Amino acid sequence: MESYSIETRELNFYFKDFKALSNVSLQVPTGSIFGFLGPNGAGKTTTIRILLDLFHAPGGSVKLFGKSYETARSAILKQVGALIENPSIYKHLTGRQNLEVIRRMVNVPVSRIDEVLRIVRLVDNADKKAKHYSLGMCQRLGLAAALLTDPELLILDEPTNGLDPSGIIEMRELIIRLNREHGKTIFLSSHILSEIEKLATDVAIIDQGEVLYQGKLDGLRQGSQLTELRVELNHVATAVQVLKTGNFTISEQNGQSLILPIQSRQEIAHVNKLLVDAGLEVYGLSTTAQNLESIFLNLTKKLDQ
Amino acid sequence: MAILALKKGISAEIYKYRSTFVFWFVLLAPAFIPAINLIAFLRRGDAIVARGGTAWENLMQFSSGPANFLFPFFVIIVALFVNTIESNSNTWKLIYAQPLSRLNVFCSKMLVYIAMLFCSLMLFGLMTYAVGWLVHLANPDLGFADPFNLWHLLGNCFTIFLATLGFGSIHFYLSQRTKNLILPLGIGVGGIVSFMILVQGWEYARYHPYGYHVLSSGPVGTENFSLWSHMEPVYLSLALAAVVFSIAAIDTQRKRII
Repeated sequence: MESYSIETRELNFYFKDFKALSNVSLQVPTGSIFGFLGPNGAGKTTTIRILLDLFHAPGGSVKLFGKSYETARSAILKQVGALIENPSIYKHLTGRQNLEVIRRMVNVPVSRIDEVLRIVRLVDNADKKAKHYSLGMCQRLGLAAALLTDPELLILDEPTNGLDPSGIIEMRELIIRLNREHGKTIFLSSHILSEIEKLATDVAIIDQGEVLYQGKLDGLRQGSQLTELRVELNHVATAVQVLKTGNFTISEQNGQSLILPIQSRQEIAHVNKLLVDAGLEVYGLSTTAQNLESIFLNLTKKLDQ
Repeated sequence: MAILALKKGISAEIYKYRSTFVFWFVLLAPAFIPAINLIAFLRRGDAIVARGGTAWENLMQFSSGPANFLFPFFVIIVALFVNTIESNSNTWKLIYAQPLSRLNVFCSKMLVYIAMLFCSLMLFGLMTYAVGWLVHLANPDLGFADPFNLWHLLGNCFTIFLATLGFGSIHFYLSQRTKNLILPLGIGVGGIVSFMILVQGWEYARYHPYGYHVLSSGPVGTENFSLWSHMEPVYLSLALAAVVFSIAAIDTQRKRII
């Protein structure tokens, strides 16, 4: 039987009258890199704050390692390291001193600071004031702080946010290394699909506070029988209007063509008929297997909004 | 177990203030009035003492007047700083995600804040005493060799410290609730000024929390001085502090950490 590091059941959360989370149930397998994917404002950070006991959900339950915060808060947080949104760093202190502040709270040996600095490759800059750090270095320092207690679970909220391409690659390699070499379970939120695609073994997609998919990343591809239809024609803008009226979702468009997900071969004929009846000239129709991005867009319908 | 956890929290809390403004502020602000008094007594000590009273009485008067006015501002700034260090560094979520209870994190910060006020007042007392002796070295005839009870001065500082905790707790809570620097400062200035107006004749002015420290202070260095003789404002202050700190602690248990 698979064991779960995180299990939530029917979490609901409100900001005044706005429902930010609606019946969010997650199961994060131990040892996985769990991608928590969703557009900005979907409820990712709110979920993470509940997972870390920073927000209290009025409905539902949260269990980490099978324990709940009501009975075992300190024991749970000892096994969890977190990096939430923007780095939390005392800019007037050096990297090493920042870690010392946390070390004093969690009571681990001083030698652990050097260990985590080595893991995140920040040894050379450890004695520099954090105000002189680049964003990438700040993120790595945040990760070092999260690793101080040698936790079993790392919760990382958009860890590549704001990083340059080399910083993103470095962070990605670090996350993979922490999972494979150090055996950490990693809960990773992102709004960037390609990021999750490169890292995650398991994924949950959230939009408007609701979990739309949860399971293996491959399952997301296999579960989708969809294909994409590329239509070349003379007036793309008019075609978009016509197809939206016909209840189709447009995933991409440019000056000469548009792309939309379709469920069956019959829909190709239906699309063609709609466009021709609207007086548009259709120059070409071609289908391709749908990529993960289209599946995500189709699930969240973001492009359509 | 709880004490050990509190020790960890306090240790981390103290460590983060190294190389900060508040560290130097707590050390140097108490030196401000004694430094001015040192200059005043070195340059015009004879003229000051000639107006009446002993040298120590004059020094105490010169110290307590400005201190009563300036000390509340010091308290407000320290309360702001101990909390904005987290808001500015975006670290509330970091410290509350550590394996310590929320109450522990709150108490660590509160106790360090209280300790800062205590240390500053004691330093102020010691520096004021040192001014008397430094002036004595420069001008032995001024009268600073006369007997003076240092313990009365430190005891008075301790009384003022206790009488400060009332409005100090209000500002600690305000600074936890809001990132806004102007609001607590505005409330503080309003409190201080309103006490100064009300104390002119309103019979209930003694209940005004921004006046407890003034009303608890006695004429140190005079024959009339008696330690622990003005305890009503101290009790009121301690009661207010107990209520406000408790509300703040309960609020910390419930609040959303952003």
